[in-house]
Amino acid sequence: MSDGLVLDGVSAAYRDTAVLHEVDLSVARGELLVVLGPSGAGKSTVLRVVAGLEPVTAGRVRIADRDVTDERPGRRNVSMVFQSYALFPHLTVVENIAFGLEVRDTPRRLARERARAAAETVGCAGLLDRRPGQLSGGERQRVALARALVREPDVFLLDEPLSNLDLALRAEMRAELRALHDRIGATMVHVTHDQTEALVLADRIAVLRDGRVEQVGTPDEIWRTPASTFVARFVGSPAMNLLPADGPLRPRGDAPTLGEEPLEIGFRPEAVALDAAEGTPATVDRVEVIGEDAFAYLSLAAGHQVVARVPAARRPARGATVRLDVRWADAHLFHAATGRRYRP
Amino acid sequence: MSAGGAVPGQRAARAARSPDRRSRRQLALMLTPYLVGLVGLVLVPALVTLGLSVTDYDLLRPPTWAGLDNFTALLNDPIFRVALLNSVVFALVAVPLRVLLALGLALLLHRRAPGVGTARTAALLPTAVPEIAYGLLWLWLFNPLYGPINQLLRVGGEHGLTALGRTPPQWLTDPTSARAGIILMSLFTMGETFVVLLAARRALPRDVYEMAAVEDATGWDVFRRITLPLMAPVLALLAVRDAVASLHFTFVPAFVVTDGGPPPYATTYLSLFVYQTGFEYLRYGYAAAATLVMMLLTVAAVLVQWRLIRRYRRFYQV
Repeated sequence: MSDGLVLDGVSAAYRDTAVLHEVDLSVARGELLVVLGPSGAGKSTVLRVVAGLEPVTAGRVRIADRDVTDERPGRRNVSMVFQSYALFPHLTVVENIAFGLEVRDTPRRLARERARAAAETVGCAGLLDRRPGQLSGGERQRVALARALVREPDVFLLDEPLSNLDLALRAEMRAELRALHDRIGATMVHVTHDQTEALVLADRIAVLRDGRVEQVGTPDEIWRTPASTFVARFVGSPAMNLLPADGPLRPRGDAPTLGEEPLEIGFRPEAVALDAAEGTPATVDRVEVIGEDAFAYLSLAAGHQVVARVPAARRPARGATVRLDVRWADAHLFHAATGRRYRP
Repeated sequence: MSAGGAVPGQRAARAARSPDRRSRRQLALMLTPYLVGLVGLVLVPALVTLGLSVTDYDLLRPPTWAGLDNFTALLNDPIFRVALLNSVVFALVAVPLRVLLALGLALLLHRRAPGVGTARTAALLPTAVPEIAYGLLWLWLFNPLYGPINQLLRVGGEHGLTALGRTPPQWLTDPTSARAGIILMSLFTMGETFVVLLAARRALPRDVYEMAAVEDATGWDVFRRITLPLMAPVLALLAVRDAVASLHFTFVPAFVVTDGGPPPYATTYLSLFVYQTGFEYLRYGYAAAATLVMMLLTVAAVLVQWRLIRRYRRFYQV
């Protein structure tokens, strides 16, 4: 598979603070890569480095097998959707969409025609004569997408494009974005801090932490075999439980061979069973009910905390004592010192 | 912070809806100094001017009724017509140049870079010089023999001519050069306009410019399609404000530097005309009539300004 985008040992700095540390990433042509991470992890910097809005301090950036590290933004053939959408407030929707074509000397009529077509693709063809000030958040988002689509860039860069939308609209646009990607088959890099968005949208996810790539993998890999406690706890809500392997809880089933060094056991709230006959005793601190689900926050011996997800109908009462149980099959092991995944 | 800020805000809103007697008295008290100034310094003089404009009055004898004689006399007064024309020409030339210069400097100096702070201060400084001192300074700068401007122009030339063999401008004795000189003087006092434009440019969103960079827009495209339209409302307001102010800021240069000359009345502007008519020739009624014409011009400019604001508000519809 040919490469859509390659970052090869890219470092970047803001003033004197290093923001990215030798980031290696490759995105296949037609792939949708989601860059996921908490705020301050350098996600947006990755996009800005690809777009050329931020210089690299080391490493190379290749787009469509072409080294663009020293090219100015306009020569990289990328489209960008900004978190704020960056629509021109004084231009109508159609003028906004056609802007990139018109400054590249596409004849006005042709530019308008293609703008209209792009608007139809993302479903904002009815808004062409309005100005951004007259649009709702979702409509602005569509216009920003149409503006990115109107050219045929080698890479689409989307910087948290859904973060300014309300929850329902975000879910809807998420699905539309995925459908759009499948339809046009473009190479896309999508930045978000929303793990659900990442899991739903991505072909592959790159988890970023403090300017370093923590793990790259399919949503399944990220979910089932997190490479570190950071990935494990960042993806999934509530976060994965972590307990020392020699702590109060012993999972059931065939134990893997454990080495000498201290380890941590991780298990998701879904993996916890509360009504076991034999298990670790725990006290229910509080219970959060969210529709059909309930999250029970439990205290174990020696002050360890565990969250369990149970059906709301069978939730324990606050203050009750329960016995909790986890299977080895649902547990993850990490090195306590480094947080990296333990492979027996 | 936000919770604390909300409460006084709500209280203020409630007070505005149903102002009780106490807060109304407080508001009146706070407005008083401004109202006293407005009435005493603007409204009463304006009314007195209106009254005087239909009289003949020389400070010695009591005013006598003259009806519209002053206004018909103004229409036929060649000096007044020259002054009116001079003022309009000055506004038409100097105001766009001032705004353009301020815009150019603002766009040049809005980024952080070494030396930018000094450059901004330099752009602002002439505006801070007291007007009379500024005028006297230019009297020296304009001096045809030892003034630095003409010395500079004579560099490389012989027998007191420029390098191209032409006579350097006789700033204070040639009518066209004198008019140009007054305009030149006014250009360097655009500091306020510059500061406003600097702030306006810095307030423009950065991502819009990054968007343009990704789309490979040229500098000219960015200026023409983004910066200029986004700053247009501010530019229009500043131009109108400058046009209004230009009726006044021609006064000191013409008074101190050129004294309304050289003949024939090359730099006699409306403001100087009013001053001379009133305080030198003691024709108060006539001067009041000319002042009224000036005020009408100002009102016309303000009306234009108001229409512009309304137009742009509709244009952006935020």
